[in-house]
Amino acid sequence: MTTTEESTATTVAYATEPTPRLDWAALAPDVFKAMVRLDAAAGRGLEPALRELVKIRASQINHCAFCLDMHSKDALAAGESVERIVQLSAWEESRHFYTERELAALELTDAVTVLTDGFVPDEVYERAARQFEEAELAQLIAAISVINAWNRFGVTCRRTPGHYQPGQFR
Amino acid sequence: MTVRTKRLDAGVAQAMSAVSAAAKKGLGDPALAELVVLRASQLNRCAFCLDMHLAVARELGVGERQLDMLSAWEEAGAVFDERERAALALTEAITVLTDRFVPDDVYDRAAAHFDGPRLAHLVGLIVAINNWNRVMVARRIPPGGYTP
Repeated sequence: MTTTEESTATTVAYATEPTPRLDWAALAPDVFKAMVRLDAAAGRGLEPALRELVKIRASQINHCAFCLDMHSKDALAAGESVERIVQLSAWEESRHFYTERELAALELTDAVTVLTDGFVPDEVYERAARQFEEAELAQLIAAISVINAWNRFGVTCRRTPGHYQPGQFR
Repeated sequence: MTVRTKRLDAGVAQAMSAVSAAAKKGLGDPALAELVVLRASQLNRCAFCLDMHLAVARELGVGERQLDMLSAWEEAGAVFDERERAALALTEAITVLTDRFVPDDVYDRAAAHFDGPRLAHLVGLIVAINNWNRVMVARRIPPGGYTP
């Protein structure tokens, strides 16, 4: 972008899209099928909007571009607000965009996702336990773990973002 | 240290086991699978998982020398062969995901030692144990509950 002509051009010269590394779902269809079953089971009983927030937040922390593309589009299609999605990476400073129940879930998401830095702190777990009854909390932990699993597949296999259509895999 | 909750949805537990079993079977190397699972559990500090998989590894005949040196495998010279080292490097990269992406050299090294289907199942196994580590640590399930 050195000349005026270029800067006013209608098509922007974006960088080249990366190439995916591994089509793991095709190479390990048995694992993929079990993951799909796990995904359906985990979080059953939790509000869909809350689940999407958890999925987007974990995908931010794990830097999964494909997952961010997918879950922000799914959230928007389900009626989530742009503001709440945009503010999610700074949720601690934008608490008034979320309910106390959502905040407790987001805090637990951060702790369970960044597991190599420390254990899940008692106060984080207890705040979540005040907002979710025991069976719900078990499902929330499962849901956080499962999006972490998808994030790991997405990043390792370098699945590229930008092509997802809302509801594509349902 | 008390258990936070033992609750885990039966459908979730069953599907998690299915993911692990499929990944392990497709990798086709039970001893290597235990090294991978143990290394991820060390990084995620899952006491239950370490206790369980140390027992499984010993049952399978994984050597004490390898188990002793696992947390320092990079510096442990000939204790681990190149294929094991490639798998362990991939395990660490996928497990500590919040620090960086899975580096090309780590991925390429694994791809040189494992063909497509085996690599996909190895990735699946690393993902699966990370899943168990999270579910066990978050609920604070203590070690010792597993008997071979």
